[in-house]
Amino acid sequence: MIAIYRTLFLFALIGLWWIVSLNVGANLIPTPVATLQAAGQLIADGRLAVALGDSLITFVGGYGLAALVAVPLGLVMGMFLPVGKTLEVYVYALAATPRVAFIPLIIVFLGLGFEAKIFIVFLGAVMPIIVNTYAGVLAVDQELIEMARSVRASQFQIFRRILLPGSVPFIIAGLRIGATIGLINTIVAELYTAVRGLGGLLAIYGNTFRMAEYFVIVIVLAIIGVIVSECLRQVEGRLARWKAID
Amino acid sequence: MNVRSGAPGGSTRIEMRGVSKAFGSHGNASPVAALANLDLRVPEGSFVSVVGPSGCGKTTILRLVDGLLAADAGEVRVSGAPPRPGPQVGFVFQGFRLIPWATVEANVDFALTSLRLDKAERAERVSRYLATVGLSRFAKAYPGTLSGGMKQRVALARALATDPEILLMDEPFASLDAQTRELMQTELMKLWEQRRQTVLFVTHSVDEAILLSDRIVLMSPRPGRVIEEIEVGLPHPRWQYDVRATPRFTELRTRLWSAIRELVLNDPSSDFHNPSGRPTA
Ligand SMILES: Nc1ncnc2c1ncn2[C@@H]1O[C@H](COP(=O)(O)OP(=O)(O)OP(=O)(O)O)[C@@H](O)[C@H]1O
Ligand SMILES: [Mg+2]
Repeated sequence: MIAIYRTLFLFALIGLWWIVSLNVGANLIPTPVATLQAAGQLIADGRLAVALGDSLITFVGGYGLAALVAVPLGLVMGMFLPVGKTLEVYVYALAATPRVAFIPLIIVFLGLGFEAKIFIVFLGAVMPIIVNTYAGVLAVDQELIEMARSVRASQFQIFRRILLPGSVPFIIAGLRIGATIGLINTIVAELYTAVRGLGGLLAIYGNTFRMAEYFVIVIVLAIIGVIVSECLRQVEGRLARWKAID
Repeated sequence: MNVRSGAPGGSTRIEMRGVSKAFGSHGNASPVAALANLDLRVPEGSFVSVVGPSGCGKTTILRLVDGLLAADAGEVRVSGAPPRPGPQVGFVFQGFRLIPWATVEANVDFALTSLRLDKAERAERVSRYLATVGLSRFAKAYPGTLSGGMKQRVALARALATDPEILLMDEPFASLDAQTRELMQTELMKLWEQRRQTVLFVTHSVDEAILLSDRIVLMSPRPGRVIEEIEVGLPHPRWQYDVRATPRFTELRTRLWSAIRELVLNDPSSDFHNPSGRPTA
């Protein structure tokens, strides 16, 4: 049922887009048909695939690295409170600083290539994942931990059976926010460093007022966002099967 | 039927001497005295109930006996040694404390982690104790799908699974309806009759305390201390006759209730504080 409503809403959006494009003028907002033609063109000459590939490498590289670093770090911070209390100030400080501020510095050290791009994505995605994982461990039910101590479970058992599963919802929430920021930073990185990928195309078409092509890129980015978020929802559903009460 | 008070051999399983415990002494708020200079003795193989108003430190006693908490002053001894959490003590917590993301069988199995059993032995234990509490059909269910009474039985199976010498039970039947409660009480009496663990049982119910125990310890709050100890002296096994119909039951009940009434009316922080004893308004 929801799927039908969603589809209907999509048609309504396209309809609205159409009406607006006819009234505003095709130079500013292309018609859906023109956009579809541009998409066909971009796919046929392979430019979209190349740009998408570039952007995905940047995104997956930076985001994957962020998850690999942030989840264990957040867990360690939550489990060993002296570590957590020591680091949290710096994590919060860094999380509050606009990451764009670091870009000139990153370019100086890492250049304009993939390393710099991946690092910019990493820097954006890593903070929300650390903060959420840390909060997740701290939020785990202390009574369950006491129960585990009562049966003399080992530290590892407490981690494996109580702390880790207990913080999964928080970790997933962090991964979701991290994915969104990572995606934004992918485009930011492509605009600020060597102009490539989807961000690069966005810059080129935006500056030359080729709005149909520009719209194609925007829509592709939206689709990537939906796919990433949907994947994480699947993972969450799998890990939280116990919550499904029918 | 045998009339027993105390226990065979009469050795002491659990002993608390002059125990005090306050909470919040690390923060800036003034500490709450949960227990003050408390003495408690539970003989080997006997069933002792602790009765008292909310907040008088009943849970704190159990946590001290399990070694989950350290006393500020005084001495706690379990089997002659300082308490240490482990499989030799089974703890049924107030509010169950089941792991929500683990199945019923995994919850029971969790109690066995510290025992060096092989896989088959563990599985056998889990299914044996799930059968004992009548939950074999729900081995693969998650706690969230169970009723309160069923959760209670999972918690009981988990506490029994290590075959402990000591059982600590914190208001285990408080959230059950009257019928389930009665069934569980009988079930517990039968289990105890077979195995004769040393049981320290916390309850709000005077009737339940009389029905199950050898001795009843009445506590008073702020700070928590023992104000009266009563030997029940009814013959075991008690599911074989109607305990509530005996004169002794009525006598004990009257005595405990009047002690509790006095306690509540004389407690300045109680909502029912009324030292004159005359009805208010
Ligand atoms: N972890 C804690 N931190 C601070 N105060 C606590 C803590 N645990 C218990 N207390 C306080 O100690 C006192 C005794 O608590 P306890 O839980 O032992 O009472 P209880 O007799 O089990 O009550 P109930 O019948 O409501 O379960 C209470 O005043 C309570 O507020
Ligand atoms: Mg309690």
